[in-house]
Amino acid sequence: MSLTSLAATGQRRRPTASLLAKRRRRVGVILILPALALVGLLIGYPIGQAVYYSFTYWNGLTTQWVGVSTWTQAFHNPEMWTALKNNAELLLSVPFALGIPLLVAVMLHQRVAGWKIFRSIYFLPTAISWVVIGLVAEHFFAYSGTLNSLLSSLGLSHAHTNMLGEQSQALIALGITFIFSMIGTNTMLFLTGLATLDPSLEEAARIDGAGAWRIFRHITLPHLSRFIQLAFVMTVISAFSALFSLIFVMTNGGPGYSTTTMEFLVYQTGFNQSEFGTAALYGIILFVITAVVGIGQLRLIGAKDS
Amino acid sequence: MSSSTHFDVTPLDDATLDETGLAPMPGASPTKRRIGRSLIFLAMSVMAVIMLYPFAIMVLISFKTNAQYLIGSGASTKTWQEINSTLPVYQELWNSTVVCTLSILIILVVGVMAGFSFAKLQFRGGNIVFLGIVSAMMVPLQAILIPEFVNIARTGLTNGYMGAVVVYAALGTPFSIFLFTTYFRRIPDELIEAGIVDGLGYWGVLWRLAMPMALPAIATVTVLQFIQIWDDLLVGLLFLQNPGERTITVGLAALAAGHTTSIPLLMAGSLVSAAPAMLVYLVFQRFLVRGLTMGIDR
Repeated sequence: MSLTSLAATGQRRRPTASLLAKRRRRVGVILILPALALVGLLIGYPIGQAVYYSFTYWNGLTTQWVGVSTWTQAFHNPEMWTALKNNAELLLSVPFALGIPLLVAVMLHQRVAGWKIFRSIYFLPTAISWVVIGLVAEHFFAYSGTLNSLLSSLGLSHAHTNMLGEQSQALIALGITFIFSMIGTNTMLFLTGLATLDPSLEEAARIDGAGAWRIFRHITLPHLSRFIQLAFVMTVISAFSALFSLIFVMTNGGPGYSTTTMEFLVYQTGFNQSEFGTAALYGIILFVITAVVGIGQLRLIGAKDS
Repeated sequence: MSSSTHFDVTPLDDATLDETGLAPMPGASPTKRRIGRSLIFLAMSVMAVIMLYPFAIMVLISFKTNAQYLIGSGASTKTWQEINSTLPVYQELWNSTVVCTLSILIILVVGVMAGFSFAKLQFRGGNIVFLGIVSAMMVPLQAILIPEFVNIARTGLTNGYMGAVVVYAALGTPFSIFLFTTYFRRIPDELIEAGIVDGLGYWGVLWRLAMPMALPAIATVTVLQFIQIWDDLLVGLLFLQNPGERTITVGLAALAAGHTTSIPLLMAGSLVSAAPAMLVYLVFQRFLVRGLTMGIDR
């Protein structure tokens, strides 16, 4: 479309401008209705329901208003505190889930021979289900699995473990699997960030005599700060809300409640114990936690932009 | 961050990555440099072994019978020959395909329409509605799992594909709207007005002018959602109540939950379930990368 024809249509438009604007607004509203219905009914409305049902005794069929008693009971329930403690402990894996990908991305960025193949290999697990990763991890940590074979070949047979069967170690195994599962995504993020870094900056610093560490510390790292923030939030939110598949196939929350996180507790309480009111309540707590993390992120970005 | 806003024009592929410069390897002398690069190569090789471990294990163990697996030696194709009698792979691959296709279609159609509206058809309150829908991206399904399940079960949709499909569609729509809105915002208003004056109508402008420009965004949403839905367990587990309609991922997890199952069978099933998603990933890698890094472009 040429400029002249655009100008011509612009002139022709003027007399009917208000009519057109009216029509535009009407079409605008119609076009968002399906989205509004879908998101409103399936995401917005259930949030309100969850709040309502958390004040009821609810087995999925009949509800009975019980006021705050579900809440007071929940806060006296040791299982909920165990789940929250497990979530808190899983957060210890976040530095690794960020640090390892950062290192990997910086190495990939050096473009040594075959780096493209390495890149594809590192990203490949991103495509597979965490159900599959969990099944493989189960074999890795099993008593007759890869970990103990490795220990044997290192002459450390006495150190044989059965991590998934031990209350004290199952969560560590879950955390390690979680770190593995996040490597691809976070490496991808950091590599994208590095690709936007002006190579002449590093070049200039090197000519000025800066060493590898100083270049990383004062040029690369500050440049990546937004990417690291985003990866941090995504990783923390994943730690709270994406472990279901891993837990389901690896430990089913056990032994005992040692690998039950809040998201898994929602599932267990609702579908194994049919205490829907309490499960809805746990969902709200999970919602508040992730919302706080998400809003914290928005404020961080906001503070930076202004 | 000006460079990252070009994602529509040049997808992040090998070519653009290459342009960003040659190996910025510090170190003065060539010898030192070579040693450094060798060390990096070594470290990357070790990392590659770790990242390929799941695939190696799946292949190795799937070519054993359960007895061979337990004693730790031998190989056989028996597991593969008999897989379909325990894990109905053909049916479940088909189920996954149906659920993915229907969900993605809804996500795309609803997303394109709303994205076009938010970007180009300013109406009162539009911004607030947009913010509301986009912030739904942050809501984890587990937080609303219980009411969601009861609602969908009451409609009877859990007896069929549609229960899972509408939940996947609702979960995928906010991101899709965000992406399409970002895309459509860059279409000049004049172009749309010209289309209207030429008699296309808003519907015609959307499908004939705007849609073709959004093809990269459509590809990104499709690839990202395909992998997410294909790999998902929670929604399928709860919202597909008929075992005959289970997706492959759900079927695999259900099989793993029964304790009598043989590990070689689970590994073979894992490979079958992983193969399509891996294929999509390898072919459309750049769209996936772009989708995952979209959040930064604001």
